[in-house]
Formats: sequence, C-alpha cells, structure tokens
Amino acid sequence: MAASAETTLDLVEAPIRVPQPPAELERTPLVANGRSFGWLSNRVASLIENKAPGWWWVLFSISLLGLGLLIFCMSYQISTGVGVWGDMRPAMWGWGIVNFVWWIGIGHAGTLISAILFLLRQRWRTAINRAAEAMTIFAVMCAGIYPLIHVGRVWYDWWLFPIPNANSIWPQFRSPLMWDVFAVSTYFTVSVLFWYMGLIPDLAVMRDRSKTKARQFLYGLFALGWTGSNRAWSNYEKAYLLLAGLSTPLVLSVHSTVSLDFSVSQVSGWHTTIFPPYFVAGAIFSGFGMVLTLVIPLRSIFKLQDIITIKHIETMCKVTLATGSMVGYAYMMEFFICWYSGDPNEAFHFSNRALGPYQWAWIPMILCNVLIPQLFWFKKLRRNLVLVFIVSILVNVGMWCERFVIIVVSLTREFLPSSWHYFRPTWVDIGTYAGTFGLFFTCFLLFIRFLPMIAVSEIKGVTPQADPHNPLGGAKVPQFVHEEH
Amino acid sequence: MTETSTQTSKPYGIVAEFTTAASILHAAELVRSAGFRQWDVFTPFPVHGMDKAMGLRNSKVGWFTFVGGVIGYASGMIMIWYMNAFDYPIVIGGKPMFSPYSAFPPSFELTILFGAFGSLIGMLFLNRLPRLYHPLLKNKRFSLVTHDRFYVVIECDDPKYSEVETRRLLEQAGSRHIEVVED
Amino acid sequence: MNMNDSSTGTPLDLGKWRNVPKLLMGVGGALSLIGLFVNREQFAYSWLLSFMFFLSLCLGSLFLILMHHLFDASWTVPIRRFCEHIAALAFPWMAVLFLPIAILAPDIYTWMHVNPQFDHALRVKQPLFTWWMFDIVAIFCFLVWGVLAHRLRYWSLQQDKTGEARATHRMRRYSGPGIYLYALSLTIAAIMWVKALDYQWYSTIYGVYYFAGSVWLAIATAYIITMVLDRQGILTPVMHEHQYYYLGSLLFAFTVFYAYIAFAQYFIIWNGNMPDETFWYVLRERGTWWWISMVIIFGHFFVPFLGLLRIDVKNVFAYMTPLCIWAWAMHWVDLCFNIMPVLHPAGFAPSWQDVTCFAFMGGLLSWRFLAEFAKYPPYPIKDPRLSEAMGLYHPIPAQMSGAELDQTDEFPDAPPQFGGTNQ
Repeated sequence: MAASAETTLDLVEAPIRVPQPPAELERTPLVANGRSFGWLSNRVASLIENKAPGWWWVLFSISLLGLGLLIFCMSYQISTGVGVWGDMRPAMWGWGIVNFVWWIGIGHAGTLISAILFLLRQRWRTAINRAAEAMTIFAVMCAGIYPLIHVGRVWYDWWLFPIPNANSIWPQFRSPLMWDVFAVSTYFTVSVLFWYMGLIPDLAVMRDRSKTKARQFLYGLFALGWTGSNRAWSNYEKAYLLLAGLSTPLVLSVHSTVSLDFSVSQVSGWHTTIFPPYFVAGAIFSGFGMVLTLVIPLRSIFKLQDIITIKHIETMCKVTLATGSMVGYAYMMEFFICWYSGDPNEAFHFSNRALGPYQWAWIPMILCNVLIPQLFWFKKLRRNLVLVFIVSILVNVGMWCERFVIIVVSLTREFLPSSWHYFRPTWVDIGTYAGTFGLFFTCFLLFIRFLPMIAVSEIKGVTPQADPHNPLGGAKVPQFVHEEH
Repeated sequence: MTETSTQTSKPYGIVAEFTTAASILHAAELVRSAGFRQWDVFTPFPVHGMDKAMGLRNSKVGWFTFVGGVIGYASGMIMIWYMNAFDYPIVIGGKPMFSPYSAFPPSFELTILFGAFGSLIGMLFLNRLPRLYHPLLKNKRFSLVTHDRFYVVIECDDPKYSEVETRRLLEQAGSRHIEVVED
Repeated sequence: MNMNDSSTGTPLDLGKWRNVPKLLMGVGGALSLIGLFVNREQFAYSWLLSFMFFLSLCLGSLFLILMHHLFDASWTVPIRRFCEHIAALAFPWMAVLFLPIAILAPDIYTWMHVNPQFDHALRVKQPLFTWWMFDIVAIFCFLVWGVLAHRLRYWSLQQDKTGEARATHRMRRYSGPGIYLYALSLTIAAIMWVKALDYQWYSTIYGVYYFAGSVWLAIATAYIITMVLDRQGILTPVMHEHQYYYLGSLLFAFTVFYAYIAFAQYFIIWNGNMPDETFWYVLRERGTWWWISMVIIFGHFFVPFLGLLRIDVKNVFAYMTPLCIWAWAMHWVDLCFNIMPVLHPAGFAPSWQDVTCFAFMGGLLSWRFLAEFAKYPPYPIKDPRLSEAMGLYHPIPAQMSGAELDQTDEFPDAPPQFGGTNQ
C-alpha cells in the first residue's frame, strides 16, 4: 500500500520522513488513462477535421431559426419603437435589462476560468477554459444587444461613446450607465484578446496538420507564424499571466459595475452596499451553470471523457456550490439589514418580494440559487451527470428569476403607489429572448466546428509526461517516485 | 542523409529532434553550456524549467502592460475631467463636476483595456510576430513540433556553429534525428 | 537572484525575548487596570479596539485553515499548525478578553441606555438589541469559533500520530458546515460589536468588510511567523520557496479585495446620498478623521498594492517584513477609524490606554500561543499533502512553466534544494 511508502530524505539538519498520501487521498491525474501528446492532438483536432455529424446540422438549423427570430424581433422593435416591449411606467427596465444582466452574468465564467483559476493554479481549468471563454464572448454579445436596442432610437447609440453629440454635450460620466458602456465593451474586448491569445498555439497545431490549402492558409494566417519557440513561449507565458492578472479585477469589476446601475440609486431593493460582490458571485454561479450545461453533453458526444474527466465536473459543481452559497449569504444579509435598518420602504419591498404578486419568481430564485446547489455537498450527487445537468439548468432558471426579482419587482412597486402595475412581457420580449439563444448557439456551434474546443497545447502541459522531472517525461532518476499501489 | 543541398540557398540552421521533455531540457542545458547564442528550443507546450535551462532573462512584456495601464488610467481620468468638468460642465443631481470616485469605474476599465492591449502587442512585438514566413515551417518533419516532438535549432549564423561539431554535440545530447534546414 | 538569504541566515537568538510576552502582559495589564479607574470610557473603547484587532487575527487564521481543508490545498500544510494555534486562542482566551466588553457594554454602546420606545432605529432592532441578546450572540460566536478551531486542531494533532485518511476527512467534514457558521458568526460579531456603535447606521457589506481586513492581517502575520520559524530552522525541512510566494500573492489579493469592499461600501453610500447612511461617513470626515481616512486609502491600499505588484519582492524578507508590520499598523488604523469616532468625534485622539490594552492582549495571547506551539510538532508531520507542499512530488505537473516562478528562483522539482536556497 502507498501508505507504507515513506521516503527518508537526508537534510542538512536531520532526516525527516515524508509520508505518502493514503490511497484514498491520492490526486487523480487531470488527463485520464495516461493519454499521450499525440492522442490529445488527434482527439481534439478530429472534432474539427471529421465531417460535421448529423446532430450538428440539426442543432445548427434550429439555432439559425432562432437567430432569424432575433433579427425579426429586433427589426420589428427598431422600426416600430420600444413600446412593443412590455415596459410600462414605472417599470421601464423590463425583460431587456433582465436579459442583459442575465447574459452578461453567464459571460463571467469564461474569464473567471481563464484568469482567476489560472492565478490560483487550478490546473483542471485547461480542459474547459477554451469552451468557457468562447461561451463568455458569445454571452457578452447576446447581452450587448439589449442596451443598444433598449434605448429605443438605435441610431443615437453613438451618444454612448465619448464624442460630443449634436449640441456639443459630452456623455455624462456621473451616470452608472456610462460606466457600464466602458465595463462591457472592455470586458468583451479583453475576453476576445485573451481567447485569441490562448488560441494562437492551437491554431498552429491545426495549421501543421491541415490537409487542404484553404485550412492551411486560414489557420496559418491566424496562427501568426507561431513556431513553438521557447523564447516565444517565455514571452507568451508572461503575457498570459499578465492578462490573467488584468482580467481578474476586470471580471470582478464588470458585474460590480452592472450592480452599480442599481445600487447607486435610491430605489428600495437596489440601494444596498453588498451589491457588487453579490452580483459577482451570482455571475460566476450562473456562468458555471452554463458551462456545465454545455460541457456535460459535449464530453459525451465527442468522447472527451479522458480530457474532461468526472473530476472536472465535480470541481465545477463545487464552484457552483460555493458561489451559490455566497449568493445565499447576500440574500440573507439583504433581508437581515432590511429588518435591521427599519426603513419602511425596504421592509415593504422585501415582504413584497417574498409574498407579493411576483412570488412565483422569488420562490424559484431561493430554491434554485441557494437550496438546490447544496446537493453538491455530496460526492455521489456531484458524480451523477444527469442530476448535475438538471441542476445546472436550474441554476440559470434561478438566476434569471433573481434578475427579474431585482429589476421588475422593485420598479413595479416604486415609491408612488398610484403608478404601481403588474409587468407582463409581450411576444416581442419573449421572441427577442428566445432569439438570443439562437445567436448564442449559432456562434457556439460554429466555434466547436472550426476551432479546437479544448486548449490542446495547454492540456499537453498538464500531463505527467510533460514534466521533465517525472519519469514519464523521460527523467532518468526517479528521485521521488510515487510507489505503485 | 546529407541534407546540405547542392543548391545555392544557404542553410538556416541545424535541427535536432527529441522525444521527451527531460531529454530536451537536458539538450538545452548542453547547448547553453557549449556557449551558443543564436539557438532556440521548440516545444509543443512550454516546458517547465526551460527558461532557466536556456538561461533566458525575465520577459519584458510586463513593461508594455504597465505603460498601457498607466496611459489607460490617466486618459480616463483626464477625459472625464475635460468632458464633464471643464469643457461642458452640467450640474447633475447636485454631484460634484468631477470626483475621482465617480470617474474611477470608467478609468479603471480603460486601465485594463490598455493594459491588455499592451500585453498582447508587447508579446507579439517581442516575439517578432506576426511572421508569415519562417524557414523552419517549410520543413515537413518540423511540423511535428505542434504535435508531440521537441526540437533544438542552432542557427548557422552563430559564431560557434560548425556543421560537424554541432551535429556531434546534438547527437551526444541524445537526438536520433538531425537535419540541416535551408533558409 | 538569490535574494532570500535570510532563511539560511543563522538562527536568531530569541531566548532573550522570552520574557517579553509576560512583561507586556504584566506592565500592560497593570497600566490598563489603572486606566480603567482613570478613564473608564476610554479604557472600554481602547479595550474594544485591541480586542477586535486580535479577534481579526484569530478569525483570519481560522479562515486560512478552513480554506486549506475545503480546497484540499497542499502548499499551506507547513503553515497550518501555527494558524491552528492562533485560531484556537479564540476560545477560551478571546472569550475571557471579551468579558470586560460584556461588563462595560453600557459604557461602549450608546444603544444600551436609549429607550427603544423613543427611538425608531432601536425599536426595530428589538429583540436583537437587548443586553441578553448581546450576551447570547457572544456565546454563540465563541461557541462556534471554539468548537471549530479546537476540533480542527484536535484532528490535525491526531493526524500527526497516524497520518490516516480519516483525520483528513474529519477536518473536511468540520470545514464544510464550518464555513457557513464562520460566515454567520463573523458577520453578527462585526455587526454587534463594531457596527452597533452607530446603531442607526446600516450596511449589508459590513461583515465582509471586517472579514477582508481580518484575513489580510492574518496573512501578513502568517508570513512573518513562517519567516521566523524558517530562520530558526524549525520549518526549514518542510519549507519551499513557493510558500512565501503564495503568501505574498495572497496578501496582494486581499489588499485588493479589501479595497474593493471598502470602495463598494463608500461609493454606494456616497452616490446614493441618503442621510441615514451618509452620516456615518460624514462623522468620519470631521477633524483629523479625514486625514485618517486618507491614511487608509493610501496606506491600506496603495502602499501595499504598489509594493506587492512586483513578482520577485514576495520572497525578499528585508522588503516583506516592514510591509507585514505595516499591515498590522494599517489594520489597527482601519479598526480605529471604525470604532473611535464614536468616542472622539472631534478627531483622531490616540490614548496611552490604546497602547496598554494592546500590550496586555498581545502579551497574553503571544504567551499562550508560544506555550501551545511548543507543546506540539511545529507542522503537521504526517499530512498526506506534505510532500507536495515541499515541492517534492508533483502528481500534476505545472501547466505553464511557471514564468513568474522562473524569475524568483526555480520551483525545485528535484529534492536537493530545500527552501530553494542552497543551490
């Protein structure tokens, strides 16, 4: 047994005995079945090089239909006016902003995985970071549509940029909505940069194995002449680290800025100091929900179980659990301080959330965001893929409800009771929302068709044979070999 | 296989193939201690400890990031002050015309944006990328570098280069496949 | 590049400092006692300030332990044992030190002698803001911290004997529900003991604010203790350079996290501009308190932020030691800014009693800490992750060649270089 394998090391002072972990506490390898570098390249590249499977065409057609629906609804809305949505005074932020916040929240997992988990040396991230980053970019695209069309007169969107408008007035930087413009556009740009930089070595992989001229040319063009030189790797890794360092505060700041749209106002249920970290936790929560929703079917269909192992799924479940619990803490604090402050508006507002006409949104919010993720405390359940898949969808149902509760419930019961009303979405609201799924999945399906959905070069680096000090990597003297059990 | 071709094109360098991470690390140490200057190691992924084995200095990308970040932050603050407090001040909600607090979120975002561009552009600049032609990329065998092989390349321009000696050194390092690549 | 020479430096002669804790305790205690009779109110506030400071240390350390178990971390193994001892000071010692606060509470908390029938802000807080609930909350908090810290330490010591997996599993089992209880207890403690000084004021993030500062302080302390133990050769056999690098990075991360939380709280209140919230900051912008707030912005954030930005400095002890001591000073100033304006609304008024109370508590706690530390192995000798922490065994190799570590010194994968120093 491994437990008995202790190695004595001669130190300067005195020999100490370092225990080996008991069998049940051993780390599981990140790539299962000891796959070789070549196998990893072939496996990932084959997803692109083989003919598109039938299911891909089916899903792609459905997504294209959805995209068509989005274009139709947007055209109708732009040509007719923003009144075709269900927004009605005082709730001028309806589904448009709910969906904006929802999508941008989903877009937080990718950069979290690529940046924060990188800084935290969470090496399991390599299996999922590429797909998660792609998901981020597409989710931010879906999110970005809403504020742009929400303004009603789309042709004035350029007023958001720091250009003087017709009356030489500059955009107003004391408004959180301007901060949002900067936050979201920076987030999108930096996510694309980060994603692209990660892709460069993998595009070189694709270039070097391409058979057709067109592929050679295109992959070659975007690989920028990458040769895998170690002098280049040295700069590359440094730049990667720096981008990770920059993206970490960025990912925190984006949803914080989104939260400031609400919290700097005085509306009950919006103005509370915990909003920034609470929104960030919620965003990561929903993002991981979406990653799980996408990854669980993909790994089965594409037979990637050796790369995205059950351990990866489990770890993502743990992140979901952790962030869901943080969201739970924020809910608790909101309710507690609402009671503690003695503010009558807040008191009314929070009882209205839980007991008022929108109770149908509040109950799933608590259930899906706080209570159901607690199932992930149990290892058995984390390893049950069907259950994890269902929970991952519920996470995003819950998060949608949360945004709805925050935005619509607060606005429809604002300070002047005479203007209270009940918000109802129109078919255009629903169509636009459904349409963004079309956009999202169209992009995502194209991504898995044309780009390596696993970061091949990175995943090679986390195999044991990549370590020059590991016997599997060719090290001659196994100085500290882990005894076989 | 004597690859020194009869054509007039001059050779670019000598390429030696290795199959494991440990052997390439060892080879890099050998080449470095032999005193070569114009040489490089090519790997499918960054090999841990290679920078040290090659004797590379700390990458300079950080400076590009830092300069980018400083420019971003300064331009954000100055832009907001100029637009809202100097060029066309308007009273909004009784708030001060300019406050470092409310100007912070957009300036911060610009810091990150410019810093990120600085990192990427700095990385590409230091690596002399994009580069659409590279003599090594013509070589069929070398294309395995992105698959599962490791290469040491010593350029002919190196003052210590001599085809026989260098080849012997690389053979000593344990390479099974050595060839000369043309420019 | 080998800048961390101090770990190979000769062990310091700490014997002559042996009596310092007891001396501090004796002199500090005696002077504090005099202070109690000279100016009871000042004594109570000074005591509260020192108490909250050392509580930060205990709770921050407890958090590091909980995270160690929840993350199944490896690099924290060598530093875990002394964190366990610090966390275990929460009970009974911090509980004992709380007694004067419980007794003098009417001198500290104005709400204790306001009739709730005539004060809306207080009336809505019934029954939480009653003296008996105040005591129940304290009992609850010390119970949670005591049970968690002592059970975790018990199983950690158990692990020293056998190295069995059961001990690891037990510690994880405590940490799971433990982190929830920890969050609850820390939040309610921060609210009842500090925020309640201005009981009309409210902020949902306040618990997180106290938490961020506490962990920051604990990391800075852990850095110094690790360094001293390394120099004395006590931790040297199991140390690896990356402990310093990671502790330094974590300190950097919490510098930013604290600033983020503090900025969020200030900014939202500033922007919302509602008088029932802004008054708290308005009070703290009067007189010299304004300068203290500047000290916090620059000293608590900018100095450590810029100071830790470079990668290689995290291993330079001559640089990190003053920075960690600075972190102590800044956390104290931060707590002072939260507590003292209630007593001294005119401006920052440090009192000799702040020093004596601090000396007494510091002396008592370090005496207890050193006694506990001496009793047990200085690090978890049979932890299953110890070999990983020492950098001896990488079941999962580095994903990137560790560009940042290449610059400091090599991440030694091969055994001969302990502490990364004797190359």
